[in-house]
Amino acid sequence: MSEYLLRLRTRGLGKDFPLRDGRDTAMRVLHRLATPNDDGPGRINALVDVSFEVRAGEMVGVVGNNGAGKTTLLKLIAGIYRPSRGEIERRGELALLSGLGVGMVRDLTVRENVYLYGAICRVHRMRIRTIFDEIIAWAELGDFVSAPLRTLSTGMISRLAFSIARHIEAPILLFDEAMSAGDERFRHRCEEHFAALRGGDTSMLMTTHSLDLVERFCDRTLWLRSGEQVAFGDTKEVLSAYRRWAT
Amino acid sequence: MYDAADLNLLRELTVSQYKLKDQSSFFGFLWSFLNPLLMLGVLFLFFRMRLGAEIEHYPVYLLLGLLLYTHFANTTSLGMRVLRATRELTTETVFPKEFLVLSAVLSSAMDLVISTVICLAIAFASGIGPTPALLWVPAILVAELVLVAWVSFFLAAIFPFAWDVDHIFHVLLRALFFVTPIFYHPSFVGEGVAQTILRLNPLAQVIAMLRTVVLDGESVALSTFTLFIVPGLVLLGLGFALFKRLEPRFAEYV
Repeated sequence: MSEYLLRLRTRGLGKDFPLRDGRDTAMRVLHRLATPNDDGPGRINALVDVSFEVRAGEMVGVVGNNGAGKTTLLKLIAGIYRPSRGEIERRGELALLSGLGVGMVRDLTVRENVYLYGAICRVHRMRIRTIFDEIIAWAELGDFVSAPLRTLSTGMISRLAFSIARHIEAPILLFDEAMSAGDERFRHRCEEHFAALRGGDTSMLMTTHSLDLVERFCDRTLWLRSGEQVAFGDTKEVLSAYRRWAT
Repeated sequence: MYDAADLNLLRELTVSQYKLKDQSSFFGFLWSFLNPLLMLGVLFLFFRMRLGAEIEHYPVYLLLGLLLYTHFANTTSLGMRVLRATRELTTETVFPKEFLVLSAVLSSAMDLVISTVICLAIAFASGIGPTPALLWVPAILVAELVLVAWVSFFLAAIFPFAWDVDHIFHVLLRALFFVTPIFYHPSFVGEGVAQTILRLNPLAQVIAMLRTVVLDGESVALSTFTLFIVPGLVLLGLGFALFKRLEPRFAEYV
């Protein structure tokens, strides 16, 4: 496929984290600054040499065992972490959904959280005002608008958050285990939204343990194991190999 | 640099922080104003005969100093801790993290304005007449916010990497209470090192400006204000630059 259709590409992407022995103090920081060649307790490789791409309108799944580096990968691409090695090329604005409802405040009301979370998702309050009723209706929280968020269950909060996140307009979406807290009905409705996105211009990178979800929606899949890239390519082929390894 | 969505987020973060502090309710706000009033009562009781004897309108003199010191101490502490206090936002979301520090400063600004209005009302009630010099008050409050902002940015940038900065800063805040002429006149310390420290203390300068316009009814000299605000803005730029330089590593350390 030609270059201009690429939305996202990584080349040799790697990330180390320093190993820590206890809490960092001002004296330790000063010591590290004074001795830059001292590696201290060492470093851990969370991600090693990951190279893949996402095209415009494509959905790419990221699978792997716990600790494989899936979340680290998404955070590197989102710019929350700085890469230790390699390059990331992004074309277009991106949005990260790493756990639904992150940033919501339990002591504020549902209404107040809709505006706050909407802002975190880069949906302007003027737009929120016009779609507020639709957000509440999709989340099935009509009776809870004035209630503090802490009175809602985790599943209800996830519904509310996803209802708002559906209105994100960024061309690149990163989903990190975004539906793990939901019930079957919620997952079904999320999948309807993914189905609606397919065929459009939005590119999506999704980490999940649900192989069924990856199989149904993702065009290509990246398999990570202990921070290393095992495979990237056609979803059926990658998942087949992943299942053989997992069993 | 920032688009409409960014400014919308800053607005929502600021409003949320303000609501969480209970300042949006009348009694919630009163509780936070009681803190400096209580300090005022204690300091007035103990120092009015000696340190306050030659200071006209000593209660208002005390109140103005306490108002700005309390605002400085509370807001810089909040700004320093904000990245850890909102750990999920720092590590799981994509937006300019300086908004977390700015929202802490701006949400406290609302308290500052209301507290200042109440202080002025108390001043008028105690016989201090309003003068045109009071038109300087908004500019002085902006100067206080600039001071608080640059200190907050430096602290917020460093705190994720060294947890004991919190303790060190609170020791310094206690020392600051005594090296700022809150309950004494600057002349009390005489000349020498102590006076030099007072002159270099930016919080002392802001308090002096506010007392000049409220108690003395005199405008702040433009040169005095400029000599305060220009270095303040430079330090704000430096603090912001340090914050942005270290921002990519915050998520690994908070």
